[in-house]
Formats: sequence, C-alpha cells, structure tokens
Amino acid sequence: MSATREDVGGTPLPPGWAKPAHQPDAFELTTTTFAERAAKTMARPFARGAIANATDHAAALTTARFVGTDHEALREEARKIRAHAIANLPDYLDQWIDQAERKGTIVHYAADESEARRIVAQICTDQQITRVVKSKSMASEEVSLNSALEAVGVDIYETDLGEFVVQAMGDRPGHVIAPILHRTKDEVHELFSAMAGHELPNEAEALTAFAREGLRHAFLTADAGISGGNFLIAETGDVLLVTNEGNGRLTTSLPPIHIALVGIEKVLPRRRDLAVLLPLLTGHGTGQQITTYVSVSAGPRRQGEPDGPEQMHVVLLDAGRSALLGGEFEEALHCIRCGACQNVCPVYRQVGGHAYGWVYGGPIGAVLTPLFRGQEEAGELAQATTLCGACDDVCPVKIPLHDLLLNLRRRSDAEGHVPRHEQVAFALWAQVWSRPLLYRASTAVARGSLRALARNGVVSAKSPLLRRWTAGRDLVVGKRPR
Amino acid sequence: MTDRASFLAAIRSTPRGLDPGLPDRREAPDAPTQLRAGEERPDRLQAEAEAASTIVHRVTAVDVGATVASVLVQADAQRIALTTDLAPFADDVQAALVAAGLTVTEYVEVAPDRARAGALDATVTGCIAAVAATGSVVTSAAGAGRAGALIAPTHICVVRDEQIVGGLHELFDGDALAEAGSLFALQSGPSRSADIEKVLILGVHGPGNVHLIIVAPD
Repeated sequence: MSATREDVGGTPLPPGWAKPAHQPDAFELTTTTFAERAAKTMARPFARGAIANATDHAAALTTARFVGTDHEALREEARKIRAHAIANLPDYLDQWIDQAERKGTIVHYAADESEARRIVAQICTDQQITRVVKSKSMASEEVSLNSALEAVGVDIYETDLGEFVVQAMGDRPGHVIAPILHRTKDEVHELFSAMAGHELPNEAEALTAFAREGLRHAFLTADAGISGGNFLIAETGDVLLVTNEGNGRLTTSLPPIHIALVGIEKVLPRRRDLAVLLPLLTGHGTGQQITTYVSVSAGPRRQGEPDGPEQMHVVLLDAGRSALLGGEFEEALHCIRCGACQNVCPVYRQVGGHAYGWVYGGPIGAVLTPLFRGQEEAGELAQATTLCGACDDVCPVKIPLHDLLLNLRRRSDAEGHVPRHEQVAFALWAQVWSRPLLYRASTAVARGSLRALARNGVVSAKSPLLRRWTAGRDLVVGKRPR
Repeated sequence: MTDRASFLAAIRSTPRGLDPGLPDRREAPDAPTQLRAGEERPDRLQAEAEAASTIVHRVTAVDVGATVASVLVQADAQRIALTTDLAPFADDVQAALVAAGLTVTEYVEVAPDRARAGALDATVTGCIAAVAATGSVVTSAAGAGRAGALIAPTHICVVRDEQIVGGLHELFDGDALAEAGSLFALQSGPSRSADIEKVLILGVHGPGNVHLIIVAPD
C-alpha cells in the first residue's frame, strides 16, 4: 500500500529481526506446571532480584503519590464506578457503539479469541495491509493476534520498547506494564548488537536510540496501527490510550488505518469518570502523577484536521468476559490492568510473570487465567498465592482478589480437583491437631526432625530433605547463628 | 460472524450483578490530580511540569516570540513547524524566528506527508487547555493535530493563563474539550521509558526536549 519506503527517516531493521509470533495453542500453560515454570525464573538470580527491586520501587512510588490525599475515598469512588459500569455493561456498550459509529468508527464484534484473530486478519487482507505498527496490548496477547497477522503476510512491529525486545527475543511479556522486568541490559545489548550487525554501546540510552531509529522507520511507513484501549467512554464513543513513550499516539495517528482491540469490560459511563480512574491507573501503575501521553480519540480524522487515520476500526472482545457477569467472579472484570497487585504479591515477586503460563501474572493472573482458560489447564494457579491479602489492600478499584482466589479454590474442591494424597494428609492433620496430646507429640517430633537436619541452626539447600523449600532460601531452626 | 445484535444479546442474557449506582457527587473526591486550597494555577502547573522534566518559561505576551526563537536556536532546530492553535501568537513567533534566521513551515502543510512530518526538528503549538495539578498541556486534533505535539525531538507549547484549569475534574467537567475534533490528548513532559533495568530515558518515540511557555495575563 505504501508507495515508497526509502528516505523516510529512521533506519529499517534487518529482515527477519522478529521471531515468529507465538501460536494460540502454544502457551506454556498447556504443557508445563506452575512449579516447572516458576523454577525457570528462580534459577536466574538476576531475574529474581530485578523483579523484587522493580516491584519494591513501584510500590513505594504508589504509596508516595497518594500521601496527603484521601486515597481511600478515591478508591471507593472508583470501585463504585467500575461496579456500576459492569452491572450495566450491555447498556453502556450499546451507548458506546452508537456514539462511536456516529463519529465514523467501524465497530466489529469478536465473541471469542479466534473471531478476534479472523476479524483483524480480514481487515488487513481487505485493505492490503502488509506492515503494522503495534502499541502494547494485553488483549492482543490474549488472542495471539500477531500469529494470525503473520499468517496473512503482515510484518508486525511492536513499538513499546519492552514489547519490541520481547518480540525480537521470541519471549513473552513478564509484567502487565513492564514487559522486560526480567531481562538484563546485557541481554538487550547482545540482542540489539546482533540486529545492528555491530557492537552497540552497552548503555540504556544508546540501546533505546537503536530501537527508536528502527521503529521510527516503521511508524513512517506502516499501513496500519494496532492498539489496545485502556478505557471506552460510553457517552462519547471515545477510546482512551495511555503510554509513556508516545508510541501509542504515533501508532494511532501516523498510519492511514487505526485498529483497536479492546475488551468489553473497559467501558466507563462518562468522561468525568476519568478524573477518578486516571490518577489511580497511573498512580498504581507507575507511581506517576499522570502517564506522559493520554490520548482520547473517537473516529477517524475529520475535515480540516491536519493529520490522523482515514479509518478507525474497533474490535470489541468478549472471549470469556460476559460469562463472568452476575456471578461470584464478576469483580474480576473491574480490573483496569495497572499491575499493582503483581508488585506487592510475595509469590509474583519470587517467580515472575512467566510462571503463570498465560498472559497475566500475579494475583489478577491467578484469578483471570483459570476463568478464561479453564480449570483443567489453569486451576492450580489458585494455589499460587499465600492469601496474605496485600493485593486487596493495593488494588485501586478494590477488587477482593483474596476472596476470588478462595472462591476458585472452593470451586476446584467442589469439582473434585483435589489430589488423593492431599485429601489423606488433611484428614490425618485434622485428626491429630484436634487432640491436644497428639498435637504436642507431633510438634515435638517436627522440632526434633528439623534440628537433626540443621547444621548450625540452619537447614540449607544441601540437605536432601525439604529441598523444595530450601532451594530458594534457608530454613532457620531456632536462633540464626551470628 | 457475530453481529451487534447477537453480541449484545449474549451479554444481556447473563444475570445482572450488584449495582452500587453511579456516584453523583457535588464535590470531587480528593486526588493528587486536583488543585489544593490556596494554590495558584500557574504556580502548580509550573511545579508539576518541571517535576515531569518539562522546561517552563513564564513570560508576558510580548516575549513569546523571542522565547520560542531562543529555545529553537539553542536546540539547533532547522525544520520547524507551527500548528494553527498557536493563533494569537503565530505572527509574533513567525517574525521572531525569521529575525533569528530560522525558516518555518505550517504543520498543516507538512503533515499530509508522513516522511516530511517525521523529519521535523521541532514543533511549536498552542493548546486547548493546561492542567495545573498534572503539569499537562491538552491538545486537540483540530488544533495541534494528533501528532503535532510529539512528532519532533523538540516541542514548545504556548499556554495562556486563562487556559489553565486546576485539575482533571475541572478539565472533564468544563467545556475546553467541546471543539477538540476527533482526538484530545494530554501530554506531560518528555517521552520516557524505563524498560531497560529501570534506567529512565527521555525522548523515546516522542520529544526529549519539551518546553512550556506560560503567558501571564496582560
């Protein structure tokens, strides 16, 4: 479609720079267990340290951001807005569609993941789109959109710096808003130097500059831009997008066609609701006062406007969402994807996002993944939690994640997904611990056994027993020696 | 293929969850993105913009042109475009830039050709509002265009004192957005990323050099 692709600025990336996109059935969830996936991150000391440091940093920034304000009142208002929007979802969607169409947006309806893939691939075929710039979209990760586009001959450029690295490595994002939290600068340096064909300086600034040049060329030549959407505004038909790099706005402004793939739960009744939701999304996401670029668009370029796409398509994605309405898991749909629950989760902080096996990590991932992917594949994720409740305390829209996880466990038990050895162990435990004498005897035996295993008061990873516990940390018996 | 009717019917067929009602408040809940009691709008705007690495200039109307020229000379910008929302200051800015030996184009002329827009060194825009409590300038598709504020490595935005709103509630409840066209956008400082080991880099896809000129009332 693009007439010329020379001399447009930026530097074209070498052919074949991107690894082939993941296929829809290739999520690790289907082939491995949580413990196996967690072990991979645990075995990379950098990743483990980096995840903990970065999430500490993010959590501290969030706390600092709301000092001196009535944070609780704001969260409560946000909770009400989200609960009201989801309780009236069909009405608000209807209103959004009316408004969006009035402003020239072409709306498409994807009942499931494969329909979303088909719709976007069809738009690309119909419009002869061969090059696409893409700004970060978790919905597109859910439906494995990139593989469907590659299949119809589209070259895809992920333009968020982190997602670009993920695409070039053939990796998956490790955090909702910080996709390469688990990767080192050295890894990015090695990757980009190989792409450049020469050694680049091993500094974040130079590495970022390399990506910018390659992606600038893509922005200036792409036939379409594909984005997600952070919110849909019912009263105006708006799609809202936030990015810090500016790639979101360039994706939706420069190419002649803009396609947004957005989950139906993203709807808000009114623009004024943004005054409540935006500070929470950014404050809990990155700790900023506001995300650098907030773009709110409705429809394609209008008469007299200097730039902008000639077509705007929005694909509304259900894919398991409506099935949660009115049920015990409805509140999972209130999520605004800020990532705060990941940052404070003691499990996520140790194992990282990949351990959850699909698209979302941390507490919200442990809730959404079994609901969207099914009990069989993902039921064990409800166990990937300490039930400490830190996620409840930090969630900007007050989703009771702790209760949802318990509900999932209960559902799993009711459906008979409890292993036989666990049933026996808990029956025995109930017998012993409800009898004082047996209880005291059992703890004495346990203490004695631990002392026997310990050297200088510590059971270390060298001990043949309890290795699954001690592989990642010492077990101190009594006082730690100084 | 799923159409609108069947898509919505499937959603409507589900049980209805608990509805706490849409908050209908008189007073906005407290948020970091609100103006605090006793704060002056331009002062808070300056403080928040500077916290987001924007370079702020407080001037009177007569000095707008010279300020723009000096920033562009310092940035060594050659290809410069002005957007139509600069209107009250456009002639002054144009004159000051010509006097400084710089050539200037109109963004509306450049924008239809992506390659030309992408080669700009700097853009100078107005805005439809500025938000004091977030340090943001609000631009519109009808004025600065969608990409006018972030296509070039340097962006200068001129805001008049009376365009400054206190916080996000005031922005969304007011009428500043009424004539924005197909898009309105907030930008708050330079483009940034901390994806690589949390090292903050400015100027990723958008400008790294961002200036805000606040024009005092006459």
